[in-house]
Amino acid sequence: MAGLQTAGAISVRRGLVDRGASVAVTIGGFGVISAILLLFAYLVWVTIPLFLPASITPGKTLPMAAQDVLFADVNDTAEWLLVLDAKRRAMFVDLATGTSWSAGIADNPNEQMVAAQPLSGSLQRYAILDSQGALRFYQARYPVSFVDGDRRIDARLAPLFEGDALLSPGLDVGGFVFDAYFDGDRLLIANSVATDSGREISLRRYSDADPDFSLEQPTQSSIALDKPLLRLLFGPQGRWLYGLVGERSDAAELVVWSVSRTGLTEQSRLAVSVSTLTSITPLAGRQSVIVASPGGELAQYSLLRSGSRFQMRKIREFAPAPETNIVIAESRRKSFATLSASGELSLYHATSGQRLEQLQIPAGVWQFAAFSPRADRLVLLANSQLRLLDVANPHPEVSLRTLWQRVWYEGYDEPVFTWQSSSADNDIEPKFSLTPLLFGTLKAAAYALLFAVPIAVMAAIYTAFFMAPALRSVVKPGIELLAALPTVILGFLAGLWLAPLIERNLSAVLSIAVVLPPGVLLLGALWRLLPTRLYRLARGWHVLILMLPIVLLVVVAFAVGPVLEIQFFGGNSKVWLREVAGLDYDQRNALVVGLAMGLAVIPTIFTIAEDAVYQVPDHLRSGALALGANHWQTLTRVVILTASPGIFSAIMVGMGRAVGETMIVLMATGNTPIMELNIFEGMRTFAANIAVELPESEINSSHFRLLFLTAAVLFVITFAFNTIAELVRARLRTKYGNL
Amino acid sequence: MSGRAIQTSASSVGSWFRSGDPWIWLTASAVAIALLAMLGLMALIGVRALANFWPSDVVQITYTDPSQRSATVYLGEVVERETIARSQYMEATGLTVADVGDAATFDRLLLKTGNRRIAGADFIWLYERNISALTRPVDAVVVERREWGNAYGLSDSTPQNGSSLDGLVLWLPAGGQLPVAATDVVRFWQPNAMTLTDKLTHYFGGIARFLTEYPREANTEGGVYPAIFGTVLMVMIMSVLVTPFGVLAALYLHEYAKPGPIVRFTRIAVNNLAGVPSIVYGVFGLGFFVYVIGGSIDQLFFDDRLPAPTFGTPGLLWASLTLALLTLPVVVVSTEEGLSRAPRALREGSLALGATKAETLWRVVLPVASPSILTGIILAVARAAGEVAPLMLVGVVKLAPALPVDGEFPFVHLERKFMHLGFHIYDVGFQSPNIEAAKPVLFATALLLVSIVLILNLSAYALRARLERRYRGVQQS
Repeated sequence: MAGLQTAGAISVRRGLVDRGASVAVTIGGFGVISAILLLFAYLVWVTIPLFLPASITPGKTLPMAAQDVLFADVNDTAEWLLVLDAKRRAMFVDLATGTSWSAGIADNPNEQMVAAQPLSGSLQRYAILDSQGALRFYQARYPVSFVDGDRRIDARLAPLFEGDALLSPGLDVGGFVFDAYFDGDRLLIANSVATDSGREISLRRYSDADPDFSLEQPTQSSIALDKPLLRLLFGPQGRWLYGLVGERSDAAELVVWSVSRTGLTEQSRLAVSVSTLTSITPLAGRQSVIVASPGGELAQYSLLRSGSRFQMRKIREFAPAPETNIVIAESRRKSFATLSASGELSLYHATSGQRLEQLQIPAGVWQFAAFSPRADRLVLLANSQLRLLDVANPHPEVSLRTLWQRVWYEGYDEPVFTWQSSSADNDIEPKFSLTPLLFGTLKAAAYALLFAVPIAVMAAIYTAFFMAPALRSVVKPGIELLAALPTVILGFLAGLWLAPLIERNLSAVLSIAVVLPPGVLLLGALWRLLPTRLYRLARGWHVLILMLPIVLLVVVAFAVGPVLEIQFFGGNSKVWLREVAGLDYDQRNALVVGLAMGLAVIPTIFTIAEDAVYQVPDHLRSGALALGANHWQTLTRVVILTASPGIFSAIMVGMGRAVGETMIVLMATGNTPIMELNIFEGMRTFAANIAVELPESEINSSHFRLLFLTAAVLFVITFAFNTIAELVRARLRTKYGNL
Repeated sequence: MSGRAIQTSASSVGSWFRSGDPWIWLTASAVAIALLAMLGLMALIGVRALANFWPSDVVQITYTDPSQRSATVYLGEVVERETIARSQYMEATGLTVADVGDAATFDRLLLKTGNRRIAGADFIWLYERNISALTRPVDAVVVERREWGNAYGLSDSTPQNGSSLDGLVLWLPAGGQLPVAATDVVRFWQPNAMTLTDKLTHYFGGIARFLTEYPREANTEGGVYPAIFGTVLMVMIMSVLVTPFGVLAALYLHEYAKPGPIVRFTRIAVNNLAGVPSIVYGVFGLGFFVYVIGGSIDQLFFDDRLPAPTFGTPGLLWASLTLALLTLPVVVVSTEEGLSRAPRALREGSLALGATKAETLWRVVLPVASPSILTGIILAVARAAGEVAPLMLVGVVKLAPALPVDGEFPFVHLERKFMHLGFHIYDVGFQSPNIEAAKPVLFATALLLVSIVLILNLSAYALRARLERRYRGVQQS
């Protein structure tokens, strides 16, 4: 064609316009098409960070002279370090410059501090014990102010409870073991007490403790101990107390007490071997503890219910970490790190059971180690050197194992598949198993196809092969129009009209499926008894003859439903299902989804399958008929065989649609991510899960990226199904062309 | 296709089955089921939606509760009748086998009694066997209130049907009275005293109000005007976006790109994108349009408002863009079909007369293809109007504080969130506390949405049929 243009005298302007248009269309068209491809690329790009390994990069080191460090903590922005040591009591260190100053809590410089711990149950609050046996509570505050445009943080340690000091009677300061829990309302203090008769644990409970006011009288209780107490840790919500008892930590027992208003009750004991007292550490939420043993084994013990008691149980072992001195846990997630005397630093994640990163740093005598609250920094002190390490570990909870295999979560009896992405606080680990969602997606699609495929394919065969052309020209576009019906309408009717209807008339609905095919056959048989002229009228018009009888059949089924209910199901089919068949019944279940989504899929399958059957070349059919085959034989032996790839591709496309359908599933099921094949229970699918959770998901969190991953999976599945179907159809067209 | 090839003389069942005739009946029943399901759905939505606007009679029922012995008088509209099985009757009433008798089924009716504030609930199921008297008092009044739903009562004065008065005092049949302040009244009527003309006026007035009024009572009552407005505006912006891009892509694929495996693959890919679940587009829209592009726009142009996002949050523009992407394949496929329909002779004639390729496309090919393009746009609009899942992620809200178009500069506020008919159905049907009371709004909205989508589809279908007739001549000549 280009050659033709040169024939005439084309003005320069027109030539330019032509070339311009060519360039513009090419750029524009190419741009649009690549924008479409961008869609998939972007989905994948968002999910990639999920699978990138974690990394720890050594940062700067700062000189720091500190001895007898009892405890250290990093502030939320990882700019400040609070160090509590026995000499200067408390100081803040600016992690950018290394300058430090006293936090100024010393009333009496001669006083020595003997122990310091964070108050469990709250952040940035600490309990400090001095040599006089007085326990005081402090909160670190980092107020930000702007002076001449410079951001300044005035770090300080403020006393809680008006500086009340709690004196412990019978205190053995040297061997004092304690833990304190404060959730803003309840203050619990547990500590060891040496008595005349031996040892005991004393528990003090201050109800209605307001951090701005003095403490009132506690209720006090105690429980006797047979062995020395090495360590005390409050469990989740201050409802449990864990204790390490024994003569030595490597041959000790992990005891669980329940904490109630009346005091402590021992629940269980478990023999454990802990390498040092700092190598047993509670994970965020304190539902479980990480224990490093002298042999280098590293394990997670979680609090589980067994019978009426609660006990610690080993739920997971990690890659061994020999000679571990210190185990430190993140404060908001279930990641933790181990540190050995030789400088072996390993980063783990409890839920995924993975060792995420291993790093060799200079060996040293570790005085302390701490994660920043956002877990982006690790601060270590050894040999008068403060060592900062940058941690990049954004998505530790996601691994192929946690996504697809059973995972033993904290507090569960056994490994399970669970999707529970959000919880009220950080204490409960997110459960990211995609298996129940995949199961739900396939279940919904399977039940939908179970209903849709027979009807759509049979209808397509009849419409293409037997139906009178006049009727076909109405029926085909009619059914295709159903494809345009907004799925929100189908979902709404399924959830609010069909689901209650089926629940009320379960036996009637089930009996329709049983009675309908014989009913239709009976009608066909009766029709044969008609005189030949009338009989022939049915050719191509069976559908119209059947309409009214089918409606009548449905009406009759609903009328006799209650009788069936009494006859076969003891008057109540739901009770019968539960007690005899052992099946639970949800109002919004897979049956409802199957019917509604089946209806949405029928036109898709119907259209493609009908085309495939209709386009079978005429001479094949004529040939078969000429050889003496009847119409049904021609259909089953010749036409369907030829068209079967087309029917297959129709089912593939229908499946693609069923897998990705959102609104119907969202509205017609309870959206609980369970794994039950039972047709009378619901499910949660990938698509519905995205619709429910993505609006609430925090941008770029693991949850957010996982939802993108499921979207990408949906994209790949449907795109693959459709492409296969399209290729099959293309081959079929060529075949028809050649025949 | 002729029906069967069997001898009517051989009448045994075996030969009948061999003839395949039974299977033909069975396949026919599949068609019948599909058609019946479709017609049934339409009928269900249509009847339930339109019946609710009719001012049905208010009945006064004297009723003895099956579990108690005292009689109560109820006043209200019968909204539903059904028959339930014995077990459900026992479950609902808490009666034992001995009390119930041996009937297998029980008829009951759902009475809308209104007066939510007094009775606690709007609706009550009454078993017909326990109804001792049913009358239609002429002085029964229904008051549609701004809050707390309808009020039902008797009025001794005869208020005019309408909506201007100084307040009403309704007498309740069970005793006591219910004052309704004038400011609380949307409208009121006395259905039992209305003539057919009155009722028709009321009926069509009700439909008009539904289409033009704002929703009330957490969307469960009142109209859907903002949802209609939002849907139409979003679809309009979407078609403005999708048309040029869709046509450009089709022109490139069909006219400019060199045919080969890459173009073939691209064509298949574009086709198949129509089958990608709509929620995936929503995810992309939220991640890319809202967070990436919107976030960048905020940083560049709306720095002063940060951290409160302007464009970096779901809104009208992003919803339209997402749906434009979603419907792009529809327009591309349809346009390509139109382009391939332009006869070769016509193009070659144009080129032979000295027109450039661009001129040929613009003056000859595109006009021939324009009805196809239009068909594609209509189908795209129909799909966009009914799509809900992606919109939930990129800009639809249950109650928008303001329409996206108003008198304030720049008049069309692309960053605002908007309401949508499809989402309205999801929200009212599944997020509202009183679903039974919301059903009239639900069914009416559903009918409205179905009508819009079906009318658009039918017009696209009609357009395509006309085209086929018109170009059959051109292509054959």
